Amino acid sequence: MSVARNKDIFSRQKPTWCPGCGLYGILEAMKRAAFSLELDPASVVIVTGIGCHGRFPNYFLSYGFHGLHGRVIPVASGIKIVNPRLKVIGLSGDGDAYSIGLNHLLQAARRNVGLLIIIVNNRVFALTQGQASPTSPRGFISISTPFGTVEPPLDGLKLALGAGATFIARGFSGEADHLAFLIESGLKHRGFALIDVLSPCVTYNRVNTYEWYKKHIEILNQKDSFPADLSLAWNWLNREDKFVLGVLYAREEETLEELILPDKERPIAELELKPEIEKVRLLMEKFK
Amino acid sequence: MEKEEEKGKRAEDISILIGGKAGDGVLFTGNILARLLKRYGWWSVTYRDFPSNIRGEGTQYVVRAALSRIENRREGADILLAFDCEAIKKHIPHLNEGAFILCDSADVTALKSLVSPKVTSIAFPLRQPAREKFGKELYKNMMAIGAISYLLGLEISPVETIIKDLFLERKGQNVVELNLKAIDFGFELGQKLIPADQRWFLRRLDDDERLILMGDEAIALGALAGGCRFFAAYPICPASEIWQWLAPRIRDFGGVVLQVEDELAALNMAIGAAFAGARAMTSTSGPGASLMMEAFSLAGMTEVPVVIAHVQRVGPSTGLPTKTQQGDLLQWIFGSHGEFPRIVLAPGNVEECFTFTLAAFNLAEKFQGPVVILIDLDLGQNLRTAPFPLAETWTIDRGKLLSAQEVAQKLPYKRYLITEDGISPRVIPGTPGGIHLAESLEHDESGLRSEDPHVREKMMEKRMRKLLSIEAELPSPRIYGQPEARTAIIGVGSTRGPILEAINLLEREIKIKFLQIRTLWPFPSKEVSEFLKGVHQLIVVENNFSGQLLTLLRSQVNLDPGMKLESLRKYSPDNFTPEEIYRSLKEICQ
Repeated sequence: MSVARNKDIFSRQKPTWCPGCGLYGILEAMKRAAFSLELDPASVVIVTGIGCHGRFPNYFLSYGFHGLHGRVIPVASGIKIVNPRLKVIGLSGDGDAYSIGLNHLLQAARRNVGLLIIIVNNRVFALTQGQASPTSPRGFISISTPFGTVEPPLDGLKLALGAGATFIARGFSGEADHLAFLIESGLKHRGFALIDVLSPCVTYNRVNTYEWYKKHIEILNQKDSFPADLSLAWNWLNREDKFVLGVLYAREEETLEELILPDKERPIAELELKPEIEKVRLLMEKFK
Repeated sequence: MEKEEEKGKRAEDISILIGGKAGDGVLFTGNILARLLKRYGWWSVTYRDFPSNIRGEGTQYVVRAALSRIENRREGADILLAFDCEAIKKHIPHLNEGAFILCDSADVTALKSLVSPKVTSIAFPLRQPAREKFGKELYKNMMAIGAISYLLGLEISPVETIIKDLFLERKGQNVVELNLKAIDFGFELGQKLIPADQRWFLRRLDDDERLILMGDEAIALGALAGGCRFFAAYPICPASEIWQWLAPRIRDFGGVVLQVEDELAALNMAIGAAFAGARAMTSTSGPGASLMMEAFSLAGMTEVPVVIAHVQRVGPSTGLPTKTQQGDLLQWIFGSHGEFPRIVLAPGNVEECFTFTLAAFNLAEKFQGPVVILIDLDLGQNLRTAPFPLAETWTIDRGKLLSAQEVAQKLPYKRYLITEDGISPRVIPGTPGGIHLAESLEHDESGLRSEDPHVREKMMEKRMRKLLSIEAELPSPRIYGQPEARTAIIGVGSTRGPILEAINLLEREIKIKFLQIRTLWPFPSKEVSEFLKGVHQLIVVENNFSGQLLTLLRSQVNLDPGMKLESLRKYSPDNFTPEEIYRSLKEICQ
């Protein structure tokens, strides 16, 4: 069917994030990537957690699941495993993925389950009104840390790399074109793809602003081949002066679904369920 | 005249206690014995009392077999197989008058000092000859099975097929031969060492192809029958057997089992899979159940059909992980935040473990929400004999699940459409025309979040209404005993067996009836009220400290204030014996 299409086929409601929020850039980049890949909204599922990113499926038209705080990845994994034909995208925040739900991120990375996980990293708990998050810069003064945070921030990409992730990337929501490129690359990746998106919170993070990021990012010049070089990735991740943006590491490997699903042609979700009385009786007989 | 080979003590009900240390193979030996007795046409059951320890601590296992149907152990034992002297010390007070002890001990003096006049004991060397003759100590277990077969007057042939079933595929012919040799050797040693007057003669009957299995295994079978094709879980005692049994078998049904990072992931993953259209399940015990509570609420709010099996163990906290209790009866009924409809089924024996699990999947999809199957360790991990098949036929009913063609006729599609029965047509992701948002926030009919008070009220009513429309399909209580009795018992789950046996013992003395609760939630208030009409005295039997079943009953049924109410509770880490219930009932009724 050829219908005139533009990226607005992915629009649902009008967003109500704070004006200037980095999420607008992410929404725009997502629409561009989905459009460029000619995705069918009915074959995409977006799973979100709790935080300002949680509203994303209200604004992006596709199937959606808005779940609990920190549990984006298990819900998304369950969906993907029973139906690998779906494009399953998890949106999660720095609180959601790097604090309350961190374990799931590492386990999904090592399993190489075919999800694209986008972390909306605004380095603050915004929806609960501005507490410090695990990625807040050291010394960050907030309602919960009046004397400044004493812990250094953690980098989810480093953790994911250590856990065996097959695709890690960093983007910036102020660079929608580049971000769309990263999302497209992540969607094409075989297996688990993690994109950490530096995303200004205009209300609660007065440190990591658009202007600040502009001075602190460096965009890699990449087309469609990415390095599978751990030490290179590690060096980029450890740059002290700048955040290096791009696909920092990618390698191809069999996915969890490919390895465990008994029928490659027929997703579990599409099995025609029968009572299987004869087969079950045969199993019962083993207990005689 | 009695044939020579049929000489021996007769029995209709016999208990064998195996005592030793964790790592001795107590469980393995007992399981083979139970299976052997089942093949002899006896109804055999087991009861485990293990420490939470892999090696070294004292452990015991009871195998009971009877000519008529039983579902539980009873007090006392006729035979004690002791792998060491300590086991004798520990168990002698619990043996029946005239019991016979076989003890693997070289220290005959120590053994003599332990024994009381009410029992007979012999030293029966197992470890040492096993090492010498078969090269490994573990063959002592097979020798013990041979010796007990001789002692009970059983033929060896049925055990051969059991050994082949166990080892042929996994370990090969050589291992089978060695094991059979060890059994023969134990049998011969029995002929030499066991006094003739201690021998039994157990009649061999047709076993009618009966099954012997654990409740956990019956739940796993029920899951396959019910169309479960996605199972995610985290290891925990005493529920792991469910998915571990499924793991190698579910592939043949096109499904997968995943061991995941924790119980939060387990239930959330099952919810994801169920949302996407698979019949999905998880299993756990108390501590894992506590971790699942948040996602339980998510399933309620997003209206995702998911099945959770909970095998209770002793709490609170880590409690006693390998012992049984009914301490979590209320956890899934009143647990989690907010209010949402949920179904809690409580099987009382292995057939019900099977039939309730397969029903759970139909119920979950029909009412679109979480269904819990709640049992305890006693029912989950002990073997029980049951008729074959566990159910003759069954069907799969996916409720209001729409195909792409059906959605096309109902556009615009609304996932949470308000309907009379509260149940909205469901569509799985990937279906054209069915795009929607499953929303954990309060939402409107199309799944978009809403804070409108009117929407909130309507959606709350819609969700809660779903239970009313499914109530008639839930397993209703079962009633036993004399209908006109003025004395009544109510129990749930694994107490069913001991209660039934106790009322059989009591029936000649007191008119009594028993109601087995089979659906804990929604509580069968109508049936219970009906049952209690004319009852003067009610005894609620349960395996916990605070009387949770009684609390529930009081909250859901208008009890006649004139009725005498007794609460029979046990919170030591053991199920009731029939004798305990019998004694308590007699005391109460006097």
